[in-house]
Amino acid sequence: MMRATHWMPALCAVLGMGTAPPGAGGQPAARTILVESPVMTSGDAMPRTYTPDGPNLSPPLTWTNLPDGTREIAVMCSDFGAGNPAPWVHWIIYGIPATADGLPEGLPILPETSMPSELAGAIQGLNGWRRPYYRGPAPPAGTPHIYHFTVYALDQPLGLQPGLDRQDLLMAMDGHILGQGDLVPVYTRF
Amino acid sequence: MTDERPPTISRRALLRGVGAVGAAAAASAAGVSAETAVAPAQAPAAEATQPARTAPGRVVYEQLSAEEADLLEAIADQLIPEDEHGPGAVAAGAVIYIDRALGGALSDSRDAYRGGLAAFERYCRSSRGAPFRDLSHVDQVSALIDVETGAATGARAGFAGSSGAFFGMVRSHVLQGTFGDPYYGGNRDFIGWDLIKYPGVRTAVSPGLQTALEAGELKPNHRSAYDADNFEKAVVSNATKETHHGD
Repeated sequence: MMRATHWMPALCAVLGMGTAPPGAGGQPAARTILVESPVMTSGDAMPRTYTPDGPNLSPPLTWTNLPDGTREIAVMCSDFGAGNPAPWVHWIIYGIPATADGLPEGLPILPETSMPSELAGAIQGLNGWRRPYYRGPAPPAGTPHIYHFTVYALDQPLGLQPGLDRQDLLMAMDGHILGQGDLVPVYTRF
Repeated sequence: MTDERPPTISRRALLRGVGAVGAAAAASAAGVSAETAVAPAQAPAAEATQPARTAPGRVVYEQLSAEEADLLEAIADQLIPEDEHGPGAVAAGAVIYIDRALGGALSDSRDAYRGGLAAFERYCRSSRGAPFRDLSHVDQVSALIDVETGAATGARAGFAGSSGAFFGMVRSHVLQGTFGDPYYGGNRDFIGWDLIKYPGVRTAVSPGLQTALEAGELKPNHRSAYDADNFEKAVVSNATKETHHGD
């Protein structure tokens, strides 16, 4: 398997973007969280299941190495090679209990469907389509895009309301991020 | 994946779910008749208000094939479903309205329906593994979202242009067929107007009627605007189609 560390820089240079999303609020480097998934790895292709070429389910994620003192978790999926201005946001979840060690596959897209019990209190924010749920990659044909699934560990529950977008969340998290980490798969449509 | 359909799904939630902002706005707007009723210049034939039937419950479609009509019904049922507030787009005859209009004022959209419905069905099969009607409720909503947002465009299903344009066209016509004046062939039995509590067209409003309206006590009159003598019946022509039709 080709690892992201081998070819991601070249790909990102071609696409004109960095290998990591900008830090939130210009905070100093925080502890790195290990973000993984049972269905994909950084640098490899996302399965169609998690794109509109398939059923477009939200992918399962896991995380370890949370900083001591983590009280809440947030997750974003962003494409820094799309959007005007970049990034195009595919998914936002905040208010995730610090006890959670990941996200299961297929979080709700219907407002009537509640979140799994282990994610009680978690809220899906507004993505680039201004929708409160996951929508997967749909890049132009033949152009690989990379997707940052970023996990943020926060030092306190932020008590955020529904309806926040990326900017809102970054502002709310400013000064509260203890650590963060990324899973960075790729998707290409043919 | 499991079907997320709870015991009951509210219309408002489903409209949100598929982003039918226009429908939600129409459903909540007090002045909806002026916004959603089809302009006379867009009128299909007046006889469309009484679709022909071969047997009770089975509509004879004039423009859509049976397969196209079934698929369009399933889509319309997701956009404006029957729920605790009353019947939805299918009961209101929105698909019959579209079928008749495709032979008249909306004839320019006939190819867009033929190609778009076929592409939509291919998309459902390739992405979700089954025809739209056989998908679970949540997969139907998910597929419609992807079509609406344009994410389905690049799935090689054969959409001509953006899948979002197809979705927008269908949504617009379903709204017309549900909330437009029944004269144009939809809004059967004033289902759409009752759904949004629109009391009906009135050419004069007395203080008493105004008071009743503001108190929410004005009874619907269940009359088409064209039941009034001072409204001219619509005439369809190519010129008016080109001038006034805007899907």
